[in-house]
Order: sequence, then structure tokens, then C-alpha cells
Amino acid sequence: MRKADSIKPAAIKPGDILPLSPVVFSILLALAASEKHGYAIMKEAALPEGGGVIMGPGTLYGSLDRMMRSGLVEETGITDNERRRYYRITTFGSEVFRAEAARLARVVGAVRRKAVLEGVR
Amino acid sequence: MERLPPPMLWLYRGALVVYPLRLRFKYREQMLQTLRDAYRDRNVGAIHFWFRIYKDLAQSSFTERFNMMRDFVFKAPIAFHTAALALVLTLLGGAVAITMQQMLRRGANQPQIDMAQWYAGEIGAGEAPGNVIPPGYVDLERSLQPFVIFYDEQGNPGPGTGYLEQRIPVPPPGVFDFVRIHGSENVTWQPRSGVRIASVVRRINSKTPGFILAGRSLRLVEEQESLLWRIVMGGWVAVMVLLLAGASLLNRAQRVKPSVA
Repeated sequence: MRKADSIKPAAIKPGDILPLSPVVFSILLALAASEKHGYAIMKEAALPEGGGVIMGPGTLYGSLDRMMRSGLVEETGITDNERRRYYRITTFGSEVFRAEAARLARVVGAVRRKAVLEGVR
Repeated sequence: MERLPPPMLWLYRGALVVYPLRLRFKYREQMLQTLRDAYRDRNVGAIHFWFRIYKDLAQSSFTERFNMMRDFVFKAPIAFHTAALALVLTLLGGAVAITMQQMLRRGANQPQIDMAQWYAGEIGAGEAPGNVIPPGYVDLERSLQPFVIFYDEQGNPGPGTGYLEQRIPVPPPGVFDFVRIHGSENVTWQPRSGVRIASVVRRINSKTPGFILAGRSLRLVEEQESLLWRIVMGGWVAVMVLLLAGASLLNRAQRVKPSVA
């Protein structure tokens, strides 16, 4: 969230706004597979495989707002009702997400190589 | 799982007042729906759940406000620097003005301190108050001249040169009580509405115990203070106008694109 806050996607490359905060990465991860409404994002982010990021509505919608302004996600325009709007990842958001995932994979690879964590395969 | 009790929903809706207005306006209904869903599916106790929700609201409100301020600084640096400069100048000007006012006010005590010390010394050395204090008549309401008054141990007026409506006025008994303990006191004394006196009271311990009060009308000093604050306020307004005009010109100059030849 830090670097992505006020930067127009057209002016930057995905790698320029890395690293992402855990909240932003978890939201992108949740939206990577399919569009979701707020609570579904929050629920998936809280799962261990979703990043284990526990957040409330305040953090979620504040983050979504900044991510929309940064061009990482957008509203689909589809709603169950006014209270439940759906969000999806943008093309730029996907690029950023992949770049961050690759960066994290390299970090995890380095951890494995250095055997910092016992039992990590 | 159970539904969210309406009072708790109203409470959270009310607490959203701490959330930034723009976000609240845009996302409130979604936030409330997310809260309903989260409460329905919660896998922790109610207390734990609400603690987590309100902690998140407090943290995110602070974070979002901070981010908005940071965005403002980046997007409008001239406005930010102008506001910061205005604040610094206001604080600096305020500090200088208060220092000058204090100097004026303390200066108002200066002849009285010397007078009270001298008269207290003379009476303390054994002179009778009537012999030391010269005859005179200073109208406290009109005159700007300093005056001196002797009061006995009980606070009754003795010889003196200060008069109000042709009588020697007496300060509140609390002043004498204080001076009995502490030896002296500088006090702004208002014997009547509209008459304010910068007075210095000293204790006299001698064969004629009592108190000596030296005073002077604060009218001149208060007029000077009033003039000082008018000058300060006028100067402040002028500086702020200049600052705003400068910032506006700078902002306009930055927006004008250079022409392409």
C-alpha cells in the first residue's frame, strides 16, 4: 500500500511498487481467482493459505479504496444489492500481484537454500 | 450463527464517525454489511470479536487519515508549506507578542517595587509612617501617578497618598493574609470596576508593624497592551495575506506550461 497509494498505473512498472503490504497482497490473492465482495475477500485473506491476514471492515475498505485509485482493483458494477459490491483485479493489478509473488518466491527460495528454517522444503 | 443485534449495529454505525468522511460516505453500507456477515460467521466470542472490530476501526481510521494527509502533502506541496509557514510565523509572532506584553506588565510594577522597599525599610528602621509618607493626594480613578499607603497590622488604612472617592481604599483581607506569610506580593488590585492598580505590598516587622502598599494605575499599561495587540493582529493579518498571495502566485506559475516554439 505504501508505494502504490498515489501512483498512476500508466506511469509505473509493476516492480516499482513492490514490496506490497500483507493486506494488499492478501486482497490481490483473494481476487486473483475470481471477483468477490468485501466480506468474501476478508474471509479468504484470514485463511492460512490466504495470507492469514485478519482485518476488519475499516482496513478492508480503506485498502480497497487506495487500491482502486492505484489501478490495482476495480468494482465490477455487479451487486447483490447496494451493500454488497463486487471487486476484481485489474490487468495492472495482476501484473503487480505476479511480480510480488515472484519476489516472495525468491525470498522463500533463499530461506530454503540457507536452511534458516528447519523442515522447510 | 446468530444475527447481529441491532443496537450493536447502531453503535458501530455511530463509531464510524472516526473514519474519514470520504471513505465513510462511500463505503458505510458495505462496511455494515461486511460487519453483519462477519458477525454471523464469527468463530470467536462476542467480546473478542468486538474488540477486534473496534481496534481495526481505530487503527484504520488513523492510518487512512495519515495517508490522506501524506497524499495532500505530495499533491499540494505549496499549500502544505504555506500552512506550515503560517503556523510557524503565528507561533513565533505570538511568542514575541506575549513576551512584549509580559515586559510591559512587569515594567508596570517597577517604580512600586522600589517605593515599597524604601518605605518598608524606613518604617522598619523605626520611623513613624506619618513622618515617612509625604502628604499628597493621588486620585486612583484619574491619576497615573504612583502612590503609597500604610496599613496597620489589622489592615486598617493609615497615612497614605492614594484616594478613591476621597477615601483611602483597602485591599481584600486575603492580600494581607498572603503577605503575612510570604513577606511581599505583587498583585493587580481592582478597588472598583474600571480602576485597576498594579500594586506591590510588603510586610513591615517593627515597633509599628503593618503593611506598605505602593501602587499605580494600570490604565496606561493596558492602553499600551491594547495597542500592542492591535499592531500584532494587524501585522498577522498582513503577513497571512502576503503569504497566501505569494502561495497563490507560485501555484499559478507552476501550472503555466512553457510555450513550445
